[in-house]
Amino acid sequence: MNRKVLIAGLVLVAPLVAVLLIGLGRDPRVVRSPLVGREAPPFALRPVGGGAPVSLASLRGKPVVVNFWATWCVPCIEEHGVLGSGARSWEGRAHFLGVVYQDEEKSIADFLRRQGSAYPTLVDEGGKTAIAFGVYGVPETFFISPDGVVVEKSMGPLDDAALSANLQKALGRAP
Amino acid sequence: MIPGLGRALVLLALLVATGGALVGVAAALRPSGAGREWTRRLAYAFSALMVLANLLMVYALLARDFSVSYVAQVGSRQVPDWVAVVSLWSSLEGSILFWGAILGVFVATATWSLGERHPEYAPWATAVWLTCGAFFAFLLAGPAHPFATVAIPPPDGPGPNPLLQNHLLMIVHPPFLYLGFVGMTIPFGLASAALLAGRLGADFLRPLRTWLLVPWVFLTVAIVLGGWWAYEVLGWGGYWAWDPVENASFLPWLTATAALHSALLVERKGVLKGWTITLVQASFLLTILGTFMTRSGVFNSVHSFTQSAIGPTLLAFLATSLVFSVALLATRVDRLAGEATLLGARSRDGMFLLNNLLLALFTFTVLLGTVFPLVVEAVRGVQMSVGRPYFDRMAAPLGVALLLLMGVGPALPWGTATAGQLRKALLPPLAGALAFTALGLALGVRNGWTLVTLAFGGYTAQVTLRELWLPLRQRMSRRGEGLARAIVETQRQSRRRTGAYVVHAGVVLIVIAIAVSSTMGYDTEVRLRAGESADIGPYRLTFLGADQVREPHRTSLVARVEVARDGRPVAVLGPRMNHYDTQREPIGTPAVRTGFGHDLYLSILNLDPATQTLGLHALVNPMVGWIWIATFVMALGGVLALLPSRRRPAATVPAGAPAAVQPEKP
Repeated sequence: MNRKVLIAGLVLVAPLVAVLLIGLGRDPRVVRSPLVGREAPPFALRPVGGGAPVSLASLRGKPVVVNFWATWCVPCIEEHGVLGSGARSWEGRAHFLGVVYQDEEKSIADFLRRQGSAYPTLVDEGGKTAIAFGVYGVPETFFISPDGVVVEKSMGPLDDAALSANLQKALGRAP
Repeated sequence: MIPGLGRALVLLALLVATGGALVGVAAALRPSGAGREWTRRLAYAFSALMVLANLLMVYALLARDFSVSYVAQVGSRQVPDWVAVVSLWSSLEGSILFWGAILGVFVATATWSLGERHPEYAPWATAVWLTCGAFFAFLLAGPAHPFATVAIPPPDGPGPNPLLQNHLLMIVHPPFLYLGFVGMTIPFGLASAALLAGRLGADFLRPLRTWLLVPWVFLTVAIVLGGWWAYEVLGWGGYWAWDPVENASFLPWLTATAALHSALLVERKGVLKGWTITLVQASFLLTILGTFMTRSGVFNSVHSFTQSAIGPTLLAFLATSLVFSVALLATRVDRLAGEATLLGARSRDGMFLLNNLLLALFTFTVLLGTVFPLVVEAVRGVQMSVGRPYFDRMAAPLGVALLLLMGVGPALPWGTATAGQLRKALLPPLAGALAFTALGLALGVRNGWTLVTLAFGGYTAQVTLRELWLPLRQRMSRRGEGLARAIVETQRQSRRRTGAYVVHAGVVLIVIAIAVSSTMGYDTEVRLRAGESADIGPYRLTFLGADQVREPHRTSLVARVEVARDGRPVAVLGPRMNHYDTQREPIGTPAVRTGFGHDLYLSILNLDPATQTLGLHALVNPMVGWIWIATFVMALGGVLALLPSRRRPAATVPAGAPAAVQPEKP
């Protein structure tokens, strides 16, 4: 038995396996947003199809769900129904906003006409708001507390449970 | 029917591999001809079963039999047949199945080439190979399970990841990588066998080195093919990003390269046996680490497969292999120890040692940078990534130091050299260094690292070419042979030496090409309306317009860009954006015009067909084409070294086949 080899081997091998084991549970695709815990970037955008601009500041007092989406994104379309029914069940207690991400206003309007919508979808000219929010890919949803602070960012399509848990969190309650 | 048959083949392979491993251990502990014979038979049976299971899957993919779960997952009626075949390795379960086939082919070939020879090692080695085989068969029978039955087969499937459908290089890169990765199992088995048998004789060094060189050649080609694919497909204009999975393929390459060199010291001086065995083991363990990285979902990369139950199983296998290797080394390495010879610092031996030290340091540096984000997140809960600057800063000095060693080492004699010998050996190649540096300066190189690379490259190039030329000149002057005959005869008589220097020549070329391409390129981003032009370097780019091209599985927007040089149009390039029906994000394909001195590389940033405006990223990448050429030279050198020579029979030649083979001592 060569003790030196044994010790050297274990010193190299044990931490590596330990680190890999800890890493096993994590999802590298989850990117924490630096915005979480900070005030949401302000915006005032006009809704699809025209109308008065909606500003984030005017929605203070209730939690806000800001969903970045596009019609070319299949998961966004699947998510649309979840957000629609969420907006209806949270009516009067939370605001829902969709923001168009790199899409034609016309295809968004067509889609909304066909599918209906329970909340306004806003046009983000030049993608400035998406850039301010650090949108990485769609769908991405930001949960903003009644006093305007980003509480959670969710990547990928939401389901009912995640939507309501994150809204509870935005209200300052434990999910 | 196919799912059931596939499962039966996989289960049978598991059974045969387990049985073969046990019989192998028994035949090693209580030597018997019959035991060894049965070990071999079971090894062949395992190989055959794995290959059959793969053929069955290919058939199912081509027949679009969606009752097979893997076909339902990656198959599609929309894709052409070649994509259907390539789908075999496009996703997690299939890639493990493919691994099994490659392992089978390797095990069968290695078993056949060892034949009846090395009876004290062979059953141990086969037992280790078949244990690995049993593990992968287990993965296929349990966690991976490509042959699950789909109760209600869907009418059509989604097809494989579009990135893999985007370029023909994707047909060749994964198989080469698998041949390199899986092939490391063979030297691992041989090295373990040497430890288990408690000796590493000179006769056994030969198969060990040959079987290390085979996957080394494949891995070399695979790494560069991967870079080439990234360059031609991903559209950011580079070929290497120190992505965790790129690193995963580079790590075993580094240790295998070190082992190929230290094996020479074992052969010449009888030293470093334990170290060489360790390097061989490390090469295999790093391939398993790399496989874990891509298939566990721990690392995010363009290569990652999705998260799955395979991760924990692979980690268990990796941990077991690591513990097995460390325990085996600790208990057995002292038996291998050769006579302790002090190696002179001013000699070729010393340079070999230094080479091993640098390669080990290189391995450690890359490994550290790769797993460091995991360590930080585990310890401090902070997400971070180790970016290119770290790797580039570490790789540049290590790379140029190795480049210089490749010149200094072969220039020096074996054993200790006198001061006069040193001067005579080391001074003349300075001419090469000066020539390359002067040429670089004349061509506008100003970057410090690139100039150092050129100087060291010139030095090493001169030594390498001299070493290749000297035996030819001797033959020509002493025996009056012509050049062609001298080349053939020299190669025949000293295949390894010739091969090694050809590899070195390729390395000089590739290091210079990498240094120049990564420091001398320039790019521009422009926004063009149809008919407008922009200039980059010697080129004028004119956007002619955009077309939509509809193919069965995708719709592409192609920008037609006319390239003019010195006022004359030389080409129309078509960078494109591909929208796959099954994917939400478009995937760009750049257009590359490869030239002798540099490439012109066009990549679409955005393209609006309605207004005919094009956002274009144009790059001029010098010397990139030479990287591919250099890789060919390196692979050629490896193949030359593997070819059978007249003086020494190659280990790959079976006993009693050609007349030139001398029977070896048992």
